[in-house]
Amino acid sequence: MSETSFPINDLLRRKFQTSLIIISLTLCVAATVYLLLFGDNIGLEISLMVEGKLTAGFSSIFSSFIIFIGLLIFIAGAVVISFMVFVMMSQRVRDIGLMKAVGCPNDLIFGYFMTELLIVTSISCFLGVIFGILADYASIGLFDFLGFQISQKPANFWLILLVFVLFFALSLIFGAKPILDATKVEPSKAISPIYHFGLSKESGFKVTSKSGFTVKIALRGLFRRKSATIKIILCLSTVFTLVTVAIAGGIIADQTTKNWVEKAIGRNIVLIAHQDMGSQYRLLLSKSYEISESSQFNYTDKKYLMPANLFDNLSSTSEIIGMEARLVLQEHVKELPGYLFDPETAGTTEVGDHREGESLIVGVEPEKVLSEWFVDGEFLTENRTCEAVIGDSLALTMFSMPLNQSIRLLDRNFDVTGVCLDPINNGNVTYVPLKTLQNATGILKPNIVMVRVDPANRTEILDQIRTNVRAVNSEFEIFELDETLDKNLSFLGDIWFIIMFLPLFSLIAASLCLIGYVMLAIAEQHQEFGVLRAVGIRPKTVVKIISEQSFIILLSSCAIGIPIGIIITLLILVPEPVITGYTILEIVGWLLTALVVMFGSSLYPAIKFARKPILEIMNKP
Amino acid sequence: MNLDKTVVSASVVCKTYQIGNINVEALKDVNLEVEKGEFMIISGPSGSGKTTLLNIIGGIDKPTSGKIIVFGHNLSSEDEDFLSNFRCNNVGFVFQSYNLVSTLTVAENVAFPMEWARKPQDYIENRVEELLRIVNLERRAEHFPFQLSGGEQQRVAFARALANDPPLLLVDEPTGNLDAKTSLKIVQMLQKLKDDGKTIIVATHDKRIIELADQKMYLEDGRLVSLNE
Repeated sequence: MSETSFPINDLLRRKFQTSLIIISLTLCVAATVYLLLFGDNIGLEISLMVEGKLTAGFSSIFSSFIIFIGLLIFIAGAVVISFMVFVMMSQRVRDIGLMKAVGCPNDLIFGYFMTELLIVTSISCFLGVIFGILADYASIGLFDFLGFQISQKPANFWLILLVFVLFFALSLIFGAKPILDATKVEPSKAISPIYHFGLSKESGFKVTSKSGFTVKIALRGLFRRKSATIKIILCLSTVFTLVTVAIAGGIIADQTTKNWVEKAIGRNIVLIAHQDMGSQYRLLLSKSYEISESSQFNYTDKKYLMPANLFDNLSSTSEIIGMEARLVLQEHVKELPGYLFDPETAGTTEVGDHREGESLIVGVEPEKVLSEWFVDGEFLTENRTCEAVIGDSLALTMFSMPLNQSIRLLDRNFDVTGVCLDPINNGNVTYVPLKTLQNATGILKPNIVMVRVDPANRTEILDQIRTNVRAVNSEFEIFELDETLDKNLSFLGDIWFIIMFLPLFSLIAASLCLIGYVMLAIAEQHQEFGVLRAVGIRPKTVVKIISEQSFIILLSSCAIGIPIGIIITLLILVPEPVITGYTILEIVGWLLTALVVMFGSSLYPAIKFARKPILEIMNKP
Repeated sequence: MNLDKTVVSASVVCKTYQIGNINVEALKDVNLEVEKGEFMIISGPSGSGKTTLLNIIGGIDKPTSGKIIVFGHNLSSEDEDFLSNFRCNNVGFVFQSYNLVSTLTVAENVAFPMEWARKPQDYIENRVEELLRIVNLERRAEHFPFQLSGGEQQRVAFARALANDPPLLLVDEPTGNLDAKTSLKIVQMLQKLKDDGKTIIVATHDKRIIELADQKMYLEDGRLVSLNE
């Protein structure tokens, strides 16, 4: 038997165990490679790009999620690897003891098992990289198929190499420890069939019920494998934290950001404007999910201004619940410095870099606005005329501390009172009071009117408004914004949906870890399960004992992982989350599904084992 | 065959194991009858099929061919759930390698077959106490198997086998791993069980146990012959 033939034969003869470990490691590597490549393609790029998809506010939430999930996936991967290698070696302690008992030197035994580890790790890391790249191409392809344009970058070789090297090194480091520990176990202990750790003298005998009996065996089994139990709980807790951040965080962030967009654009809102102006406004709203050629548009063209009689006509329509006039322009804007009081020096510090650029300017009547933006700071008020609320992308790209600064446009200075999340023009927007804007430009009429209609008789009302509008000026049209709003929401939904599925690989790897643990439990307890069966316990009771162990582990892991995930989501990732009863139900539903799938899959080796003939159970695992 | 008195009846029982491409015949045309209250010993060299025969009589294993009837039930045609209940209520096993449940204490090891047979709690507590007194292990009730010696573990295995007061006791090499002094205690225990009228089948080489037997059988290369004639 050569030094290489032993490990290869050993791995091949333990096909199921070897496959399980290779699949788990492969999934961890694949999950990390995929996440980094996908993030490189879509997530992280967004936060760094000035002209990207989503507004700066949305993309910062999105990229925080990607970064956090990436970190958790990496930690989960390391823990999974450590656990699986531990399981692999735990099952070999007796063999190592036997090899030592017959006189095999320690360094030779260490060499055998390190070679096994090297083979398994090399195959897993290689396969993981391949699957990670394929998954990235598949998901970008899926996005394209769904109609969202995301560019496929060539795979970043250095990133992939980094993941490969890190996971390869981690596997060897984590794997060498249990191999070393196993080679140090005294042969007499290693080969003893009755030597067990973790059990202590009982305080008193008490008859239990049938269910109490199975729980007792399950619990004592868990405590006896204390080291493995702690490791698997740690491993699953990390994965549950990851899954909670992705699922609960994804759902909460999805609903919160959708809520912001829905409030910013408004539901049941109809835009009335000149055909060209209306199309342009819709184009501005769709910038967050569509790459469109930006052409010069003359907002100040007189033909776009609302005829006075049309405005009066709409005002007298009783079915219109709310109406708001806006003047939309494109103007050159400048960042004005702000001054911060420094209590230490009692002096002031100037903030701002005097940056300049183009921004969409929207004049609104503060008391009549139909939108409800998510605003950091305050929205405009009727009596303060020289104030502005700016979009999040403008705030990020042109201001240092926007709420302490002012913006200059049309030769007037406006104090920035708030920063709003708004998908229009990708967040590059400035809201100012309509009257102030009219005075500054000399354009006394608005160029768009937004109306909110009663949703009960929506079609009839819209027909009536359309007839009235065309009667006044045939070039004017009504534009329903719900379709644009739905596309915005759908894009956000798809992004968060992808986020929610990022930890899927880790979840599968964790399920395999649990299966590995169950196999460890079976291998260790096979003889006593055989005895139980021989004495009259049915196969389903053996499954029950093993499933109780799985359940206790899963429950303990959930109890640790889910609260941590929720805390991370609510305190760090999503400011002012929107949580409804439905949100909670949806989160509970997804997490329960993950739990049930993991629990169900962990029963496979138990069911397979319990079906074996008693003698086979008693003699070998 | 007297159906009222016959506890075990094996006719033309064969058992073949397949190991790779090779068929190993563990039992060849075994015929056997054990009556109620009878003490039978099966001796024979190592690997002759003694344990296999005990396993088949106890419903742990099934014959490849032939018929095995125990307490009127044809065990070769019964399903696993039936066999589980059957073993729990009718058969007491003492395995060669003790085979105690390592996660249960001595008292719990003795109690669990009764818990499984839905015996009342008071009954179980009293019976555990009684059985541990019989095997002289009252003081070890709360210990785990790994804290006991081999002889003590074997006595716990006897106590567990007797827990549900089974009419049939199957004992596999009870003294094989024990020293002379401990073996004597086991022999005395078997003597007492015989006096109590239990039907007992023991696979053994121990002359002291063989002397107790009503029926002596010898197994060699899977074939069973009577030593009484």
